Amino acid sequence: MDYFKNNIVTQLPDISELTFKKIHKDYLKVLTLTTLIVFFILFLVFFLLETTVEKISHFKHVNYFYMILSVVFLIILIAFFIGFSRRKYVLREKDITYKSGVLIEKITTIPYSRIQHVEINEAPISRIFKLASLDVFTAGDSSNDLVIKGIKKGEALKIKEFINQQINA
Amino acid sequence: MPNTSLFVDFSKQSPKGIIVIYIRLLYILVKTTWFLLFLFIQRFSKFSEETLVYIYVGFALLLFFLLVRAYLIYKKFLFKIDDGHFVLKEGIIKKKNTSVSFDRIQNVNFKQNLIQQFIKVYEVSIETAGSNETEIAITALSYETAGALKKELSKAKPSSEIVKEIKEKPLLKINFKELLKVSLTENHLQNLMIFAVLVIGVLQQLKDVFKSLNKEDVIENYSAIDPSSVFNSLFVFAMLFFVLLIIGFLSSFVRVLLFHFNLTLFIKEDSLNISQGLLTKKSILLNKGKVQSVVISTNPIKKKLRISFVTFKQAVSGEIKTQKNKLIRIIGCKASQIKRIKDLLYVDSDLDSDKYVPNKYFIFRMYFRSSVGLLLINNVIMFLIQDLTLLWLNLLFLPLTILLIQLKYKKSFYQFNEELLLVGNGRIETHHTYLPFFKVQHIKMKQTVFQKRQDVVNLVLQTASGKITVPCIEKERALKLYNYILYKVESNKESWI
Repeated sequence: MDYFKNNIVTQLPDISELTFKKIHKDYLKVLTLTTLIVFFILFLVFFLLETTVEKISHFKHVNYFYMILSVVFLIILIAFFIGFSRRKYVLREKDITYKSGVLIEKITTIPYSRIQHVEINEAPISRIFKLASLDVFTAGDSSNDLVIKGIKKGEALKIKEFINQQINA
Repeated sequence: MPNTSLFVDFSKQSPKGIIVIYIRLLYILVKTTWFLLFLFIQRFSKFSEETLVYIYVGFALLLFFLLVRAYLIYKKFLFKIDDGHFVLKEGIIKKKNTSVSFDRIQNVNFKQNLIQQFIKVYEVSIETAGSNETEIAITALSYETAGALKKELSKAKPSSEIVKEIKEKPLLKINFKELLKVSLTENHLQNLMIFAVLVIGVLQQLKDVFKSLNKEDVIENYSAIDPSSVFNSLFVFAMLFFVLLIIGFLSSFVRVLLFHFNLTLFIKEDSLNISQGLLTKKSILLNKGKVQSVVISTNPIKKKLRISFVTFKQAVSGEIKTQKNKLIRIIGCKASQIKRIKDLLYVDSDLDSDKYVPNKYFIFRMYFRSSVGLLLINNVIMFLIQDLTLLWLNLLFLPLTILLIQLKYKKSFYQFNEELLLVGNGRIETHHTYLPFFKVQHIKMKQTVFQKRQDVVNLVLQTASGKITVPCIEKERALKLYNYILYKVESNKESWI
């Protein structure tokens, strides 16, 4: 036991002392734009419902719904703004790490030797800003693997290439 | 490659396979159309002679068609071994060509259902892992061919040379009497739930059928017992409890009998050989390297009898959710047998280090969450059901909740040595999960806002067989573990699968 503890303190590379890299600042625009679009559609749908369906327009508290929707909209936007600067990643010689989260802070590390495959995805709005997301898969239950959204496509390709080299090495 | 005389060319299964395939097709037919059959029998008298003839002819044609189909499936099912790969061709109209390299093969298992037992053929299933390829099953092979195939498939593997058939004493053998004893100690509540889900499923299906017949009230009459009268009568309640207990016991007995009948466990060099099952006899050769994690579980009654059950977890592929099939469970293990199994799997299974318990915040959080839950239930009773006598239920809920929380806290701990992590959890049952550090796929640290104030985190270790969570440990220690596990995984040269 003692040997083990010493080992940790003196020799092992420490994840908490790494300098992380932030994701691209344009991604905040993507997040804002996406939220705006989603809520615009929500407001529109409800507005149309209100004007056409009589039962709803006669409902007394109809304004509350708009208020709730606006509050949710604001909360999500604020969460994105706060959370944005916390979305960071770092590549080491042998593993890739990503951290994020506002209410729940998460940090995930995947060693290259356990990676099954790497995917690069471009969502429609991200594509306008030439951004992509990097999805890393491991064996087993793949739902909880690592996804880095909002990095430049060129950078994503570079990372993918690098990881592929490391896997095959 | 050594010359593989037997499987160089494409070979078919045993001709008896046609029977097995045919019966399987019939089974599928009955399973999907049983309510049509039901309708037919019910309205039998209403059909005119002429229609009956048509129905019989149609039925005969269908049976014949299925026979032809079974024959074609058999005829087109070809397999061979080619340069370290197992190659399979199948399909009548849609051709499918599968090729699996030997080192991707996780297990080669023998299975026998009732029919296969009766006509003395074996089903050989080849399990692969890590991808979304489906498993390969060869329906009918004679014992000799099946054995030869298994030998060929395991030949190429450097880790497990042909296992010598040593007829030694099995490490574990459960006879009928012991099986009965074990089934008494099962988790009856869980089995009752499974049984209830089954019954509800069947009832739902029946209801659908009756609905289509406009005879909905037939079922309704049976299930329409006024709930208030049931709850008012303590006698009925006690009876219900008693009946449920018996059903629970019976269902766990049937389940244990079905899955674990004639359980034998051999240890052969690097692998465990497990065979069990009543209707479907399963024989599994479990290579020690393929085991991702091991869970040793017991409950208060089992503890008295000094037995526990062991679950071996293997890698599951991401796409198909066949987790249940990849769980290999053996029951009725004594302490000495568990020691043998642990010694086989791990070089150093002694965990003489201190037991670390979760932070006090863990128990605080459980109490907090349950109080919120209880308050919610009380509010529902007060404002929605408005039957204040139900509030007495709190007298039952409150001590139960406290008991369960205390038990859970008492049973949560973690321990480790250089290679191995042991995580304990459970409420009424006790589960000890053993995980070698290098089997970790990825590692995650989670911290909620509330945890941040206490400076504790949850550590989530993702393995190929599911995740293992170490809840609420001090951040400093979690970080050390995090770094150490990464070091272990990255410096390890062994294959995790």
